Amino acid sequence: MNTWQQYQGIYVHIPFCVHKCLYCDFASTAGCDTALMESYTQALCKEITARAAELPVAADATIYFGGGTPSVLPLPYLTRLVTTLKDVGLWQHPQEATIEANPGTVTEESLEALRQLGFDRISLGIQSLQDDELRAMGRIHTAQEAVEVLRQARQAGFERISGDLIYGYPGQTLASVQSSVQGLLAQGLDHLSVYGLTVEEGTPLQRKLASGTLSLPDDDTVGDMYDFVTTYVPQQGLSRYEISNYARPGQESRHNMLYWRYVPYLGLGAAACTFTGQALVTNSCDIAKYNEGKNRQIENLTQPELAAESLFMGLRTAQGVNLQETKERFGCDTWSRYGRELDQAIHAGLLSYDAASQILRLTAKGMQYGNQVFAIFC
Amino acid sequence: MKRSYNIRNFSIIAHIDHGKSTLADRLIEKTGTLSQREMEDQILDSLDLERERGITIKAQAVCLDYQAQDGKDYLLNLIDTPGHVDFTYEVSRALAACEGALLVIDATQGIEAQTLANVYLAMEHDLEIIPVINKIDLPSADPERVKQEIEDVLGIDASEAVLCSAKTGLGVEDILEAIVKRIPAPSGDNEAPLQALVFDSKFDAYKGVVLYMRVVNGAVRKGMKIRMMATNKEFEVTEVGVFKPAPVNVTELSEGEVGFLAAAIKNVKDARVGDTVTNALQPAAKPLPGYRKATPMVYCGLYPVDNSDYDNLRDALEKLQLNDASLVFEPETSVALGFGFRCGFLGLLHLDVIKERLEREYSLTLLTTAPNVIYEVHLTNGDIEMVDNPSLFPSPTVIDHVEEPYVNATIIVPKDYVGSVMELSQEKRGEYENMTYLDETRVMIHYSLPLSEIIFDYFDRLKSVTRGYASLDYELHGYKPSNLVKVDILLNGEPVDALSAIVHREKAAVRGRALVEKLRKLIPRQMFEIPIQAAIGSKVIARETVSAMRKDVLAKCYGGDISRKRKLLEKQKEGKKRMKQVGSVELPQEAFMAILKMD
Repeated sequence: MNTWQQYQGIYVHIPFCVHKCLYCDFASTAGCDTALMESYTQALCKEITARAAELPVAADATIYFGGGTPSVLPLPYLTRLVTTLKDVGLWQHPQEATIEANPGTVTEESLEALRQLGFDRISLGIQSLQDDELRAMGRIHTAQEAVEVLRQARQAGFERISGDLIYGYPGQTLASVQSSVQGLLAQGLDHLSVYGLTVEEGTPLQRKLASGTLSLPDDDTVGDMYDFVTTYVPQQGLSRYEISNYARPGQESRHNMLYWRYVPYLGLGAAACTFTGQALVTNSCDIAKYNEGKNRQIENLTQPELAAESLFMGLRTAQGVNLQETKERFGCDTWSRYGRELDQAIHAGLLSYDAASQILRLTAKGMQYGNQVFAIFC
Repeated sequence: MKRSYNIRNFSIIAHIDHGKSTLADRLIEKTGTLSQREMEDQILDSLDLERERGITIKAQAVCLDYQAQDGKDYLLNLIDTPGHVDFTYEVSRALAACEGALLVIDATQGIEAQTLANVYLAMEHDLEIIPVINKIDLPSADPERVKQEIEDVLGIDASEAVLCSAKTGLGVEDILEAIVKRIPAPSGDNEAPLQALVFDSKFDAYKGVVLYMRVVNGAVRKGMKIRMMATNKEFEVTEVGVFKPAPVNVTELSEGEVGFLAAAIKNVKDARVGDTVTNALQPAAKPLPGYRKATPMVYCGLYPVDNSDYDNLRDALEKLQLNDASLVFEPETSVALGFGFRCGFLGLLHLDVIKERLEREYSLTLLTTAPNVIYEVHLTNGDIEMVDNPSLFPSPTVIDHVEEPYVNATIIVPKDYVGSVMELSQEKRGEYENMTYLDETRVMIHYSLPLSEIIFDYFDRLKSVTRGYASLDYELHGYKPSNLVKVDILLNGEPVDALSAIVHREKAAVRGRALVEKLRKLIPRQMFEIPIQAAIGSKVIARETVSAMRKDVLAKCYGGDISRKRKLLEKQKEGKKRMKQVGSVELPQEAFMAILKMD
């Protein structure tokens, strides 16, 4: 069976947080309402059971618990979710089982317990190692706590640990970003995600920027931050395997690679998205509606849309896309459809193409101006 | 026997917003030509654009049946006139088809420059003018002051001015009676050979060109062979009729009557406004006076943003030209913009209307270069070149001197603003002619101004320095020598022909600086740095730089995000589509108008 005819990964969404960050527009709710957590866990277990046989699932399908902050869901609930996944055969011998966690929501004991449940990779929302920046973002932890959690996770037996950082946030400077990146790598991390800030509609951050209470660093400063991150991190041995992701060899997120390789995955929980290979199915982002099993949206994609999405997702990675595979999967001859634009992009130094392997990939400049390439396919 | 004793042909002269269309609606309603149920506000403005902008572009004619207080039945033909300076010639033809005119003046405002120009036109045609003071229902109405102004400024007896409110219907009956009693019946000769004045035309996909006309002498009927006296083209009449306001066929139209005629005419060029229709078998000795070909005053380049739309643009222009003989165009090529058309218009409004119709009715995305006038370039070898495109301006070494079109401008303004108006007009290279007090508070000023300054930003500035109180009218006066130079714009060191402008030498440095600054703000950052220069010949007079965009990439894209991110990228692509690729630089459409909108 082809890898694109069965679910290769399972995503489970946990929409709870201690406190909602200023820039966040993910489905999450702040505060720990036990009743809501209980009803949500029930609904989620019900969905897991109901959808287990929807499409064949690879025995080594990856597992990813994301949020929100999965680590705020008390252990008994997490245990029920994991047990249910195992009972129905969605969790067999995962290549990787990741859970997202935030400093301030875990202890050495809870980390050990997560490890015991079967999670072997942890992704930590660190964001910055400057306390004033963390406060400004609405994070609940300090730099000290972040470093401590790293140590605890390693202590608990996690061999694969990732940290997230943000650059371009109001108040950040090139020096402060440099200090956070260097400080975090000094802790011996093997995987790092560094995201340029995206200001999302409807977030408190967007309102504060609109009203002038906050202002973003200027374009040139953010450009300098980008240049620093994209040069410095690879120099430390973590290669840039996706636009915002860096890892030592073998430490790449296998689950996230599924998204970029555009193979089928099953998304469970509020706001979770499933890709069947033909359609995108998105659960309601409203927890109450999700609990009632309502408002699921199905977007059936045409062959050209599928081809387009697979191209711009695949080009995000350093390995690029194999056009032969695109043709086999979607019947799309990329050159005949986008030839003129692709030639222009190659001429502008954004893309490189290897005719022998039929692999198209972004150059370093292409990663910097990726949207100019991605838009070709939209 | 004369049959035209019961006919009255009239038009309405009014400043924009003084209530012409509303009054026309009331007259139609009052005479029962349309029931209230059939009334759609502002019947006469039949183009969507006219309704939206509240202006009339095409002339229209409506035939009203009216039983007067004397017990007799009358046919009142209302010929509506365009209300904008761009269409003065059309107005003059519509007025020539009438014996009288209603002069509608807002009781709260008084006479405006545009009204004045049209009243003088009406006087030239010996029209009986009936002053109508509108909006008397408004608390700020001051009909006595307006009457005084009419007498002082226009020398028209205002003692019998009709007071009305087109909005409430007050005084509408009095207007109808005044039309019957005061406007003379047409005095044509039924036995004479046919002479009918064309005052507008419209293209109909089934009937061909439909002529709107006033029969002056003789009669026209279906089947008659007619000749257009200016173009000498002959046609056979397929239909004659009147507008009530929907077209109704009649057996014939005779002297004094107003209506329409169709004769399978394929192109409006063959039957132009102002031409005389006569009987081909028994032609009139002379055409009616006053015919002239409409001449464009303003030129600009029209280019499809997507080069593959070139043929569609040509088709669309050809179709619009069927309906609008004053639109001229010919293919041109720009190094920067590719293939497009150089188009001539009667004025800026005309340009706007055509551009909007092309985009709206033909779904084209267009790029307009900054409009310019026609320059008369006298070469050292004695030749004279008429240049309608700045990029074709000859090299300074072969130019002896250049002349540019001037207009006579009439500005009416409250006296407190006289200083500001004079200062502005001086700045715009105006030559003061004279000034008259209309009453204690309002002043009429005459200036001779370069047309190019009017096109540039004179009117906007005039409105702003007078807080909107000034009204302006102008007519082409002739060419005068000017010290003009061509300013070129270079992007990335490459001249962009479509951005070249002709400006006065003394202002070249200031305008060049302002233009590059404006362009720097308009041109979005791109993947590389873009130097912008203004130059006269090889001498750079101003320089700015658009610095490079540092990055442009979606930071995050995971499973749940794909559709939303795809939509963001689609939006980005849409934005790009509206940009014009000039060499390696992407230019927004506004860049080409930057020279016009500088503050």
